[in-house]
Amino acid sequence: MHSRSISLLLNVLVLIVVFVLAFPIVWILMNSFKQAADVNSYPPAFFFQPTLENYKVLFDIAEAGATNYGTIKIQFLKPVTSSVIISVGAVLLSLIAGVPAGYALARYNFQGKEDLAFFILGFRFAPVLLVIIPMFQFFQAVGLYDSYLGMIWVYQLITLPMIIWLSRSYVEDIPLEIEEAAAICGAKRSQIIIKVVLPLLRPGLVGASLLVFLLAWHNFALGLILTAKNTPVTVALLKLLNPGVNFYPVVSAGLVVSMIVPICLILLGQRHLERGLTFGALK
Amino acid sequence: MARNKVKSGNMFLLITLLPAILILGGFIVLFLWGFYQSLTDMRFGRSRVDFEGIENYARLVGRSRFWESVSATAIYAFSAVICESVLGLAIAKLFNTKAVLAQWLRPAILLPLVLPPLSVALMWTTMMNPETGVMNYFLSFVGIENFPWTAKAETAMFAIVFIDVWTFTPFFALIIFAGLRGITPDIIEGARMNGAKAWGIFWRVELPMVLPYILLAALFRIIDSLNQFDIIFGTTQGGPGNATDVLSVSAYFTAFQNLYFGRGAAIMIVNWLMVLLTAMVVVKLWQYTRKRVGGYA
Repeated sequence: MHSRSISLLLNVLVLIVVFVLAFPIVWILMNSFKQAADVNSYPPAFFFQPTLENYKVLFDIAEAGATNYGTIKIQFLKPVTSSVIISVGAVLLSLIAGVPAGYALARYNFQGKEDLAFFILGFRFAPVLLVIIPMFQFFQAVGLYDSYLGMIWVYQLITLPMIIWLSRSYVEDIPLEIEEAAAICGAKRSQIIIKVVLPLLRPGLVGASLLVFLLAWHNFALGLILTAKNTPVTVALLKLLNPGVNFYPVVSAGLVVSMIVPICLILLGQRHLERGLTFGALK
Repeated sequence: MARNKVKSGNMFLLITLLPAILILGGFIVLFLWGFYQSLTDMRFGRSRVDFEGIENYARLVGRSRFWESVSATAIYAFSAVICESVLGLAIAKLFNTKAVLAQWLRPAILLPLVLPPLSVALMWTTMMNPETGVMNYFLSFVGIENFPWTAKAETAMFAIVFIDVWTFTPFFALIIFAGLRGITPDIIEGARMNGAKAWGIFWRVELPMVLPYILLAALFRIIDSLNQFDIIFGTTQGGPGNATDVLSVSAYFTAFQNLYFGRGAAIMIVNWLMVLLTAMVVVKLWQYTRKRVGGYA
């Protein structure tokens, strides 16, 4: 085979892979702009008259009786805000508690350090339900059930180990000589960290925060069991399926809302997400 | 400097590590409490709790439904991870070529990974609808009509594994891609000089060198798949019948619908043991392959 035809074949294969990965998302986006009749038609409608009705129903801004769904009321803005509050809160708490720990794990040698590091990473793989069952009773008992504060705390199960692990790997990227030079010039440790290390660490921490925000945004099981009114987006989405009517069009609009935030994050920090998602294998 | 650091660092270490250890320590306490619950007859809304020893476990072991859950969990996790390894390797190889589109479109690999797994599950639920779904429309071109997907017990497991494979093959592709980039052109050139052909280079040089990466990805994914809850709860909720009733879903319904907290906790402990054992085996394999190629990954 000529190298030109090989290259053509490879490009076609790439297009097929990208089509398989992107088509479902494009299809859901299309569904979210379709009338109910178009979503439920067979064969599926590839060309249709676009409408914003599904989004209007989703955010409860349609006029009474103006939609096909009669009196069903959804207020999707509430779960979106809940998800943002919980995820941002979880990221901030993880940064405060996790970055110093990551720094210590990168720069200090003490007994059992590697064991501690792996133990922390192990949380990433803990069966969440095993912690949720006792957590549910604990939250009921102390009044943290359905509260943002409680949710931000339990989300640390997901976010904190990742922040520690990633900030450790980013600190290790900073040459030790820079810190030593500052120490020779007479700077105190606290000054070195605030004036030298943190500014160098900032791009890495922004990336790690993006990734961890993403993991928090993804979470479903914790919100399913530990919230009632302050549910995150993922739980609210599943509730959309419950009404007795075929709700696919509105669910599609909800799915687009839940997916748009993460897809924007790819545009913001593709490099960092790749590094974070592969636990640092891809730098 | 180094010695000085260790001496004066104790107080500093304590301050930096303590907040994280306190937060995570709270989860350890809850974990132990969960283990204790699994040894009791605890029910939600009933204040009396009796210690029962291994009663919950004994009851589980005697039930065929429990063993069906164990095998559903294993089938789901292993078939997903095996498919993802093979496809991930193929996609990583493809995106490691010089094809122009491979360079431009690489960010598209990230797409499935950044979506919430529950959204992915619901997205496929709408697409796999046997009557109106777009998947059956595509299948009708190759002569398959009305494929039931999650609606029938015989195909439900295939359908949810398919969703897992679509979502997480990119994870394998990204990690294997990192491994492939570590193979420098002179390694390939050296093999070629020794008379190796294209397939020979792949089997004898590339594959052994990326194997540790494949196993590393497999380690992460097998743990997550054995714990998978979102994708299965978002599609089949364990059904039809109990065709996809994996341990985590089974534990959820036992604890939060039937309100048997003790039994639910026991199911999760079994799930956790499964994760632990499998992870240990994969770690051993990973260390073995890594030693063989000498320090990569």
